[in-house]
Amino acid sequence: MAGGSGGRAQVWVELRADDPEAISAFAVARATLEAARGLSTLRRMRLLELSGPLPALAELEELLHRSTRFYHPQKERCVVRLAGGDAPPLAHGERAVLVTERGGERRPAAERWWLHETGERIEVHEGVAWLLGFDAEADADSAIADLVMLRDRRHGLLCNPHSQDSSVADREIPLPWMGAAVGR
Amino acid sequence: MTRARVAVVQFPGVNCESESALALERVGLEPEIFRWTRPAAELRAFHAYVLPGGFSYQDRVRAGALAAKGPLLDVLAEAAESMKPVLGICNGAQVLIEAGLVPGRGRVELALARNRMSGREGYYSRWIYARVEKSSCIFTRHLEPGALLPLPIAHGEGRFTSRTSGKLAALAKAGQAPLRYATASGEIARSFPDNPNGAQASVAAVCNAEGNVLAIMPHPERAQQLGSVPRSIAGPWAARRNSAQAAAAPGVDVTDEGPGLALFAGLARHLAEA
Repeated sequence: MAGGSGGRAQVWVELRADDPEAISAFAVARATLEAARGLSTLRRMRLLELSGPLPALAELEELLHRSTRFYHPQKERCVVRLAGGDAPPLAHGERAVLVTERGGERRPAAERWWLHETGERIEVHEGVAWLLGFDAEADADSAIADLVMLRDRRHGLLCNPHSQDSSVADREIPLPWMGAAVGR
Repeated sequence: MTRARVAVVQFPGVNCESESALALERVGLEPEIFRWTRPAAELRAFHAYVLPGGFSYQDRVRAGALAAKGPLLDVLAEAAESMKPVLGICNGAQVLIEAGLVPGRGRVELALARNRMSGREGYYSRWIYARVEKSSCIFTRHLEPGALLPLPIAHGEGRFTSRTSGKLAALAKAGQAPLRYATASGEIARSFPDNPNGAQASVAAVCNAEGNVLAIMPHPERAQQLGSVPRSIAGPWAARRNSAQAAAAPGVDVTDEGPGLALFAGLARHLAEA
């Protein structure tokens, strides 16, 4: 039944409509944070990572489609990566930041559903991937550091380090990403 | 004598403004619902501030995260610095924590994280016992340490936590945790559901070092009437409610002062003395 990269799959879920959460985050960041001056776009995706005995891609996609434990196909679309070489759904120049709830990444209800439907035990982890686009002249690396990590009202927004972890991806998106080189 | 004016600050998505205003009125203060669309500078005219519960900005990014960045918080931060009282209830507490007004002066030192509950996840609502702790917090310092206030909680992100080990316990020791979750017999809660969200050190409320800014997760405004105290609650408040409902005690009525009104009374007392 193994189908993914060593029994792993990374699922990127995005709203089909404009995402109010990303729009609000973008507006607030631009209005209040110095580091957001060069920020030109901000998107948000739910990132799910499945590990265990997974089926081949077509069956995996069909299972994901069947339960809103993973995504709602009428409202959301999803892209599945099975190997590091598979392209993530990033636009040219976008940088990705993963934010997870420390100790709260597992999705037991999704795992139970999977076990019920397939008889297989897998692990499901979930986080939020923020995709940031910058103006050409912006120093993206330093801006990201200052935009992500909440320190005070004028610095940071996307991750409160007291309860969340964040990880900034280089050009390549790791697979798995969750639990890999998570910074605090 | 003119009554002290209290702004009940309403961000979009806040839904407890009316009962918060009613509680303020009941203790003799003059509340005014102050919506986010008004110029922030107008907030300066008030003597105190209440940030009620709800879901400001739909809890986008994190509960309280977006409201914490707005211009109203600039004025509230100034007010806090100048020792004006600020009370954040539930979502209001989340805003204060995300803004760094509690427990420090602008640096974010805590999070109100997703509940951690055995056998459950997500939003949770129940009545709990909040034990009054020794503190100089202006909202609770008139209350006897050890007293139990039955109060309702209703939240998905109410777990006081810090990545700094022992931070919440240190705040409690310093008198900056004026309310902690307890059992019906008054012991500090050790587990769910007495501690309903997994808060470190069973902390239910945190104030700043000066005691004029309080972030509280339970809803005192929903416990402002004696008749609100549910049958699941034991102790003296339940006895009073039972008397009122049975009309056994002349002069006791279900609309009498409930346990939650004590915090608003503390505010009124402070403003009268100031």
